[in-house]
Amino acid sequence: MDSILLQGKGLIKDYGTVQKTRALFGIDIILKRGEFASLIGPSGCGKSTLLSILGTLDKPTEGQLFFNGLEINKMTEDELALFRNKSIGFVFQAHHLLPEFTALENVLIPSWIESGKADVKKKERAIELLNTVGLGDRMNNPANNLSGGQQQRVSIARALINEPDLILADEPTGNLDSEATEQAYALLRDINKMMGTAFLIVTHDRHIAEKSDRVIEMLDGKIQKDYQTASKEKEALWEELAPKNCKYCYGSKI
Amino acid sequence: MSYELKIALRFLIKGKSQTIFILFGIALGVAVQIFLGNLITSLQVSLIDRTIGNSPHIVVTRQDDDISLMLNASPIDTVRGNYPSLVRNLENWQPAAETISTTKDVTVVSPALQGTAIIRSSGKTVPVQVKGIQLDKADLIYNISKRLTSGNPALEGNTIFIGTSLAKDLGISVNSGLNLLLPNGSIAHMIVGGIFDLQNEGSNSSLVIMDLARAQKLYGTASGITALEIQVKDPFAADAISANLLKTVPGVSIKNWKEQNGQLLIALTSQSSSSYTIQLFVIIAVTFGIASVLAVSVVQKSKQIGILKAMGATKKSAARIFIYEGFILGLLGAIAGSGLGILLLAGFGSANTTFALTVDPKSVLLIVFISVAAGTISALIPARNSSELNPMEAINNG
Repeated sequence: MDSILLQGKGLIKDYGTVQKTRALFGIDIILKRGEFASLIGPSGCGKSTLLSILGTLDKPTEGQLFFNGLEINKMTEDELALFRNKSIGFVFQAHHLLPEFTALENVLIPSWIESGKADVKKKERAIELLNTVGLGDRMNNPANNLSGGQQQRVSIARALINEPDLILADEPTGNLDSEATEQAYALLRDINKMMGTAFLIVTHDRHIAEKSDRVIEMLDGKIQKDYQTASKEKEALWEELAPKNCKYCYGSKI
Repeated sequence: MSYELKIALRFLIKGKSQTIFILFGIALGVAVQIFLGNLITSLQVSLIDRTIGNSPHIVVTRQDDDISLMLNASPIDTVRGNYPSLVRNLENWQPAAETISTTKDVTVVSPALQGTAIIRSSGKTVPVQVKGIQLDKADLIYNISKRLTSGNPALEGNTIFIGTSLAKDLGISVNSGLNLLLPNGSIAHMIVGGIFDLQNEGSNSSLVIMDLARAQKLYGTASGITALEIQVKDPFAADAISANLLKTVPGVSIKNWKEQNGQLLIALTSQSSSSYTIQLFVIIAVTFGIASVLAVSVVQKSKQIGILKAMGATKKSAARIFIYEGFILGLLGAIAGSGLGILLLAGFGSANTTFALTVDPKSVLLIVFISVAAGTISALIPARNSSELNPMEAINNG
């Protein structure tokens, strides 16, 4: 459980070509296998930028990225695509299903990409995953006929279909009400325990952060604090998390 | 099925009205191309057929011109009036005919002896052109036997065929007799064996057809003839073939129909080029239509493409989706357009009786192929935009 899954060394990200704006100032971060971590911080502090760089959706201006000891920041775009397909699952705030497809097809899409063919080899696993997220009876519904919470659960099932080592979630509960948030968190936590999948979750929700194994707090493009939740008393932790980092509970990002 | 194809199909099916509009546009473009192309081709085929279908494409005669013939015509009985008709003989024509008929692409070689005569019948006097032929060979060019309105398709001895107008003028019918006054002053009694309608007033009113041997005897040419009439496989190659014949058959004059129909050829060529121009612009319009619809589609689907890329779709795959879309649009549009175009042609064909409207399957296939190619090519730029799409931006802006 202690082995290193993902390691970022000196990650710097600049935006713009003439007027450069630095979003990340040399981030060093290590994620361990099977870890359940929250990434918090005020809006604009660079959380999402860091998440997309760790997920290889964006390239760092400087710095190195290792996944399972392999240096992945030197890979070509297509190699990275293959890597993402096999090793990383994404869950976005706006759930981002393909509305043209059914729930089941959406879950299967990463497996289609993996094999290149739109076949149903992983159909059983997809149905199992949809059952796990409680949508076994809705699997043939068009994706846009599902409620926000249901769509988010489909996208979680989709992130899991290729059995990735890591799931990166960008405010997965940002658009959900408190009940759906609770369900989604419980689901993510179950998957983490059952399958040993590591999670890094960007969140503004202190309830989610509180229940994580580890909290990474960012401010102005730097990591401000990084601690295990078990190391703090419950009330101290609650204080620690509020209100400056998590004042947008249950709300969308501003 | 590759997953890119599945996604392309699903995008098209779910983009209902957009897909239907562009398909309708492509189908109309293809229909116009098929209609116009086949209309022009049919019109030209019928024009050419009317002009040269029942006439020789190439005529081989003796090289001398009329004036030198007149000057050199010494035997008094070879020149009557001012027309030295009997001097222009090809004497030893059989070997030449042999050579010509074995030439590639030559379909018919028919010997003919032409002369003039005057018909005297029931008090009337009509000047006529006499043509001696071998009916079996001449039929291949003129199709005389099939164009007899009465009588039997057999030419021998004193039997002659005359045209419908001439028969009417003279008030005679099949099996009537008449007298031919020949240039040498002799009179031959002939029997009308058939009356033809060659759909040409000149022939119908003043042509008399008889057997070649008989004509040779009447005009005293021994085995000589005045012309070898030739038809070839492709009328448009007549000039090249006659140029070829000039080398293999020396010492004769060879003329082809193209030399004598320059105006018609210019008309046909300009008709074809205006048709091609219209077709070219139609295909350009179709290409731009598909390209713009796909370009908009890439923007509309940028969120989906971003998600697919985040999940591991390569740049190539992201491009392929839109290439497939272009290909499918081109193919479906072309199929629908072919149906529509053929329907239009059928409708026009049944309303129009002046010429036969035929659909050339090869031209339809070519247009379908061009339209599919245009669809695929028009997808290239949208596909490139799709492949260059940054997944993070697409997801955040979607």
